[in-house]
Amino acid sequence: MAGQTDPHVSLFSPEEVEFMAEDELVEIVPNMNMEPLNFIAGDFGRFIPQIPIQVPLWLAVALKRRGKCTFRPPGWLSVDNLTQVLEAEREPQSKFQALPFSYVEIARLLFDHARDDIPDMYMVRSLVEDIRDVRLHKLENNLGTFLGTSAVKMENVSAMEVNLVRPFARRALEAFYKHDKPEVVADRNTRSSRQPREANDEPRRPLRQR
Amino acid sequence: MASKYYDIDDILTEEEFAPVLFHKPANRVTIDPSAETNYVEQGAKVELPFWLAHELHLRQAVSINLPACFDQKTRLEIQADAACVDLRSRCPYFYEFGCKLQPLVTDRTLGILLSTAFKIRYKERLTKVFTATHLTASKFLPFLTIEETSLYEAAHLSMTAFKKWRTGGPRFQRASILGRKRKES
Repeated sequence: MAGQTDPHVSLFSPEEVEFMAEDELVEIVPNMNMEPLNFIAGDFGRFIPQIPIQVPLWLAVALKRRGKCTFRPPGWLSVDNLTQVLEAEREPQSKFQALPFSYVEIARLLFDHARDDIPDMYMVRSLVEDIRDVRLHKLENNLGTFLGTSAVKMENVSAMEVNLVRPFARRALEAFYKHDKPEVVADRNTRSSRQPREANDEPRRPLRQR
Repeated sequence: MASKYYDIDDILTEEEFAPVLFHKPANRVTIDPSAETNYVEQGAKVELPFWLAHELHLRQAVSINLPACFDQKTRLEIQADAACVDLRSRCPYFYEFGCKLQPLVTDRTLGILLSTAFKIRYKERLTKVFTATHLTASKFLPFLTIEETSLYEAAHLSMTAFKKWRTGGPRFQRASILGRKRKES
């Protein structure tokens, strides 16, 4: 992959993940008049004071730094919603809660650049950090549950989290595959003479429910 | 196989010694420098590096026995508590070496031993990497084989990079070309 900084680790750096997250759309309220902007990703504008508009995050940050707009914080970034998510994440045996794919990065960028536009900024920030830590623990527990599974299913894991465990998980699965393979071969040798294996395309092990 | 030809880990794995039993007498070889003759008798038990043992095995000159790192004592220890066994001192390439030996030895349980050892050690040790501090990790680090260490390193590196990103640092880097003043033309 072209975007990888270090081919040996097969990892996007967090900065690269953040860069990709900057393409997400956010809502801003401009305070200036401007002609529409035509980008490869699409056309944005025109910008009229006090009329909310969706723009990519990087553009929003750039405008904000020049004092040309205010952010409308996304709906999920509210104390109520985050508290709810945190509660749900803390439930034992719960699934990962649905959050935007790049929630870590978006939150970080907003906290850095749009401090004054987020109500209860400190509360929100600590909630996001808590959620991130809880989810990281959960992810780690999940990693502990793959024992030679050939396929792993995890839902709602965000970009940064995936990127964090990618090199580890890949190597671990490779190792499992390597050690499981001889067993399968031996298995087939002993069994094939007696009865043909029932053909099924399903994974042999039931995928773990979280 | 060809892709592994220059792989240093693969080369080092094959340097590990395996005990062999000579089925044929071999002339003009000096395996033990202190031996009086340069002659290996039929039925001699010798330790050879794996790469040599493998080649001789293909020519049916020797049969390979299990090396000491897979002996009964180690097995019992792995059964007792795989997570605490110091595999590194037994054989730094425990898994790789085991996988290479597996088709050549008569022991059928080797594969199962390797996979159970890895599964338990993976679960107990390696998955703790992301939240454990480096200090607690360094206690069991010397027990890990090379393969396990590389797994650990992978997780540790990505975690360090993430923490670095989280705590900040220069956010927008200026391209070096932008810093220079343009010459007046």
